[in-house]
Amino acid sequence: MRTVEELEAEATAEIGAAARSAELRDLEIKYLGKSGLVTGVTRLIGALPAAEKPLFGQKVNEIKQRLQALIESRERELKSTEHASQFEAERIDVTMPGRLWRSGQQHVLQQAMNKIKAVLSGLGFQYHESPDLELAKYNFDALNYPKDHPAMDEQDTFWIDDERLLRTQATALQGRIFEVTKPPLRAFAIGRCFRNEAVDRTHSHTFHQVDAFMVDEGISMADLKGTLGHFARSMFGGEVKVRFRPDFFPFVEPGVDYAISSPKVFGGQWLELGGAGLIHPNILERYDIDTKRYSGFAFGLGVERIPMIAHGIEDLRPFLENDLRFLGQFHG
Amino acid sequence: MKLPYRMLLDFVETKLDASQTGDLLTMAGFELEELETVEGEPVLNVKVMSNRGDGLSAFGLAREVLAKEPHATPTILYERASARFAEAGAPPEGGEGLVTIETPDCCRYACLLFAGVANGDAPDWIKKRLRQAGMRPISLLVDLSNYVMLELGQPMHAFDLAKLEGGRIVVRGARKGEKLTTLDGVERELAPGQMMICDARRLVAAAGIMGGLDTEVSARTSQVLLESAHFDAGSVRRTRKQLGLSTEASYRFERSVDPEGVVAALNRFAQLLSESGSPASSSGLVDVYPGRHDPLSIELSLSQANRLLGMDIEPAQAKSYLENLGFQVSGDGEPLIETPPSWRPDVVRECDVIEELGRVHGYEKIPECLPHGATLQGGVFGLEARVDQVRDCIVRLGFSQLMSHSLRDLHPLDSGGTRVGPRHPSSPEMAYLRNSLLPCLADAAVRNEGSDLHLFEVGRVIAGGGDGPVEHRNVALLSVGALCPPNRQHEVAPQADFFSLKGALLEVAMTIGAALKLESPSTTDPRLHPTRQAMLSCCGKPIGVLGQIHPAIAETISLPESTVMAELDIDALCNAASDSATYRPISRNPAVRRDIAILIAKALPYEKVEKSIVAACGELLERHWLFDVYDGKGIPAGMHSLGLALQLRKFGGNLTDEEANQVREKAVAALAALGATPR
Repeated sequence: MRTVEELEAEATAEIGAAARSAELRDLEIKYLGKSGLVTGVTRLIGALPAAEKPLFGQKVNEIKQRLQALIESRERELKSTEHASQFEAERIDVTMPGRLWRSGQQHVLQQAMNKIKAVLSGLGFQYHESPDLELAKYNFDALNYPKDHPAMDEQDTFWIDDERLLRTQATALQGRIFEVTKPPLRAFAIGRCFRNEAVDRTHSHTFHQVDAFMVDEGISMADLKGTLGHFARSMFGGEVKVRFRPDFFPFVEPGVDYAISSPKVFGGQWLELGGAGLIHPNILERYDIDTKRYSGFAFGLGVERIPMIAHGIEDLRPFLENDLRFLGQFHG
Repeated sequence: MKLPYRMLLDFVETKLDASQTGDLLTMAGFELEELETVEGEPVLNVKVMSNRGDGLSAFGLAREVLAKEPHATPTILYERASARFAEAGAPPEGGEGLVTIETPDCCRYACLLFAGVANGDAPDWIKKRLRQAGMRPISLLVDLSNYVMLELGQPMHAFDLAKLEGGRIVVRGARKGEKLTTLDGVERELAPGQMMICDARRLVAAAGIMGGLDTEVSARTSQVLLESAHFDAGSVRRTRKQLGLSTEASYRFERSVDPEGVVAALNRFAQLLSESGSPASSSGLVDVYPGRHDPLSIELSLSQANRLLGMDIEPAQAKSYLENLGFQVSGDGEPLIETPPSWRPDVVRECDVIEELGRVHGYEKIPECLPHGATLQGGVFGLEARVDQVRDCIVRLGFSQLMSHSLRDLHPLDSGGTRVGPRHPSSPEMAYLRNSLLPCLADAAVRNEGSDLHLFEVGRVIAGGGDGPVEHRNVALLSVGALCPPNRQHEVAPQADFFSLKGALLEVAMTIGAALKLESPSTTDPRLHPTRQAMLSCCGKPIGVLGQIHPAIAETISLPESTVMAELDIDALCNAASDSATYRPISRNPAVRRDIAILIAKALPYEKVEKSIVAACGELLERHWLFDVYDGKGIPAGMHSLGLALQLRKFGGNLTDEEANQVREKAVAALAALGATPR
């Protein structure tokens, strides 16, 4: 029969020699378990004289505690080396490609349209749509086009029949709004437009236009310039300036084309964006709007111009060709 | 219009060089498109707006330079042109009854008769300037009339008087069946009403467009009738379009020519002819002017003008700007009363004069302000906001947005019904308006190599209808191949099929709170697989289709047979949207899962299985799903095995095993009533 001291020395040696944490579990059972060796020694207590009993019990408990502590500390040691080798075995190459999620994306023109909607909404303009298949009444007549005016030359139109045509300009919304809304009003439309033109890098028979207009008391060319400045700065950032030049559109008087420039963004060049002006009083009068009290402005631009300027796209054609190698370049 | 810069300098003296003058014209509304050097001298290529025919001449552009540039001064030639070259006195009037006007489209017809003309070469300096302007020198008479047109903007035509039958001119509309061989040697059949110049017997010129071959001046011509007239812009434009014959003359008449400048051009021609050393003598002027217009008188409030322009123009400034442009001005500004010059038919009301003031004063002086006044609610509302929501949701589901041409050729995936297209399509490839978005998506799928594609488009389609064409806004989706991008070898991605697309559509409908229903169609859509398609409906109305592409069409257009597609009316879907969601408190007790496996006839729609489970389980059923469908080995023909999961949860207490089993038993019993046997 070994003494408790011998038992402790033996257990201490074995714990110190354990190479894996699983061996420690076994040693814990062997010495400290319900029928473990140290536990077995405590049973001997009954055979001792009464005076020795407390001392022996205390001694065995101290041994148990020491062994328990020893097992735990040895376990911490072993775990840390075991983890180290496990982690080494589980090492991954973080430079391998990420597993791709399928993500959809908005068309580059849609991205421009969304931005336009956000900016004009912030300026108090309300968004409307009007049909692609438009009545000549709204596309031309309501917009102060005289019959046979040479300006119609520039708008060689896809007529469907005597009354209907494919909208040539998003401005066609104006008459529809004036029919049902009294000033003060601010409205805008984004729509697909069609003109009978040969397709090349800078021309297409199908394109998209924004048209925004407002009518209120005392609206001036300065309000137009300020609104366009704000719009252009919101779209392109930087210190964008606006330039007006005289131009002719039957629905505005004075009529201008407007260009923007910024020393930082466009290297000081003037980029023509679209046409604008004060809404022709003939149009306001047609809808019984008192031109003594109210005036209004309108401006339009091609949606395609926005990504062309922003991304340096030099060709109109890819916008409607649906090549994902093109569309995939513009995330949004 | 190409104009040699020296011709402009004949009319205006300025320190500006050609490029600076071009910039100034640009800011006046006559855009310098190009500054070329031809035969060593600068030539301006100026774009003239369609309502500013008065700018189609050296004289007209000189007027603009003088109005905008305070340091420029008019030359003697400018003063003479302003006085309509009448310094020599009017030529003798003559030829009573020589000209007859029978159409309202000609408001003035004047001509000058010359005898003893020697039609040789024009002087070299004139020929050079014509070449610089892009015109080919032809003969003295033709070149002089072209040169005067460049100077003054008035087109003219020289007839060989000896060839004019009866020596007289009639201006009238063409009659049915009449023909004219024009100077370019082309015989043209004329339509009734096209304005023509005739002699006593036949047509000799298309008015304002081109002369006739028979009466052309030649080297032997000695007697000349030189025409200078004013023809109606609309009439010339119609005839020019119908004949497909555009000339320098028609270009100017369409943009309007000064009716008061008609005789001035004849005077100038006569002077240049005599300066060229030609022995010709003018034998008389005929001037028939039935269409004289009374000059307009326009009242302008300068304070209103300044308010609209956002600038501050002084009355004296305003007066001077307008007078430099040829307006007669009186009054002190409240109002200013002005009479526009005869060459400005585009100025008819106050706003037109305001534009003149703004243009000359300079738009660069307009400050930037933001509009004040009523605050209005800006934004995207109602249906349009829903459409944006749907578009965003589909993108979120992993579809790429396309935008395709509306004008296109026919395609096997077109929807049925009569087709609509432009009356005059520009090519067969764009002869029809799309009546479905599916052809566009299919074209795009083919273009992008037809595999692992998830595409959608929101766009307008136009179909024929009983009362004419009808326009709809649709959304269409196309899905083919792996549902997620391939990553590594041996990884198998789930593939797109009817149910993946159905899931996407239901997700879209749920996002906007619309109740989208799928059911077997009563009539099949021939574009889709006959037994793998569903009709989509909202509020009891059919709004679209979903299905696998018809294998025959798939083969024709080279797309995989597994391609699935859907198209529906997005406006109808969005009109069924709803925001109403009512809060329900959530249970804090754990959920219990029970599974059921059954054998059931394939012919029984799953919808029925689902309904009976929901009814049987009652409110303890939180969620249920189909986790397995199997019809392989060991399953009798016509049957399949379904694995169903039930997620049960109680509110305010834990569900015991026994309670959960009871619910499951009820579900099993309900399924047995449908003919299912537990496995």
